[in-house]
Amino acid sequence: MQSVLEWQAGTLTAVRPETKQTKSFTFALPKWMVHKAGQHYDVRLTAPDGYQTERSYSIASPPERVGELELTVERITDGEVSPYLHDVLVPGDQLEVRGPIGGYFVWDVALGGPLLLVGGGSGVVPLMAMLRHRAAQHATLPARLLYSSRSVEDVIYRDELDGLARSDGAFEVFYTFTRQPPTGWTGYRRRIDAAMLGEVIKPFDKRARVYVCGPTLLVEAVANALVQMQLPIEHIRTERFGPTGT
Amino acid sequence: MDNDEGDMNTALMVDGNAVAGQLEQIFGRDMTMTVARCAGCARDAPMGALMAFIRGPGVVLRCPACQNAIARIVETPTAIYLEARGAAYLRMAPQP
Repeated sequence: MQSVLEWQAGTLTAVRPETKQTKSFTFALPKWMVHKAGQHYDVRLTAPDGYQTERSYSIASPPERVGELELTVERITDGEVSPYLHDVLVPGDQLEVRGPIGGYFVWDVALGGPLLLVGGGSGVVPLMAMLRHRAAQHATLPARLLYSSRSVEDVIYRDELDGLARSDGAFEVFYTFTRQPPTGWTGYRRRIDAAMLGEVIKPFDKRARVYVCGPTLLVEAVANALVQMQLPIEHIRTERFGPTGT
Repeated sequence: MDNDEGDMNTALMVDGNAVAGQLEQIFGRDMTMTVARCAGCARDAPMGALMAFIRGPGVVLRCPACQNAIARIVETPTAIYLEARGAAYLRMAPQP
């Protein structure tokens, strides 16, 4: 039987810039396996001298996209892996990956909703996989995304999110800008706090299933606020990113 | 620990999801939903939700409540060391 831990060579088929710092990479996988939204793949680079390094990146594509894997990766200056993906890898190149991995930070329509997704920076990536899965399944369960970015230029998937919000009456997106809101912006312009969370979660109340992904401080703040609101702890799932910042 | 180092450690912290692949390699199954009971404070947490420090020579998994080191993992060219005296136990569903 094929194992998710088996390394395989994915072939890069497309690169799409999302923001100044993030790009989406599509790979064709010879041994593609169906995943759950929220899971990730490990990526391994091997230097000519044998030195190896691994990172794990959230899957951006929905499980319905058979045979392909899309990863959205933020370029970390001084990083070991992301600058290679951003600056060196071109379509046709191969990359060692293994997955899908993880069973904790996952959601599918069978788990139901209402669904509250809270993301900071590139923490939106696994949440996007959940939204794409929900859309691909034509699910009508209510979903809301609260998404914190530094500025509007840093919003990943903006067109897709806005399009989804326009076409799907059961989905709403709430942006908050922590550094530079666009001119004339009347929405949120601060870090996510308990008051903001309370407003966005209001129609769902304690029935919400919540997925929080972002930098540690954001995840801590949101998870603590949700516990204060007495949401059942088993309905709160968190994933912390490393040093990305919002 | 001075403040700079503390901030740096916090900034580089991720969670157990980030080492799901490594854990699955050791245990032969997904471990992110496995509950670890902290030997320090007795709090239960899924391994996917443990605090993880992965940028050192090895991996350290800490209790999200009291920060006790639940487990340490070090890989050498010939062996994998898993020290888990910070866990009272791991509780996982039987394999189907």
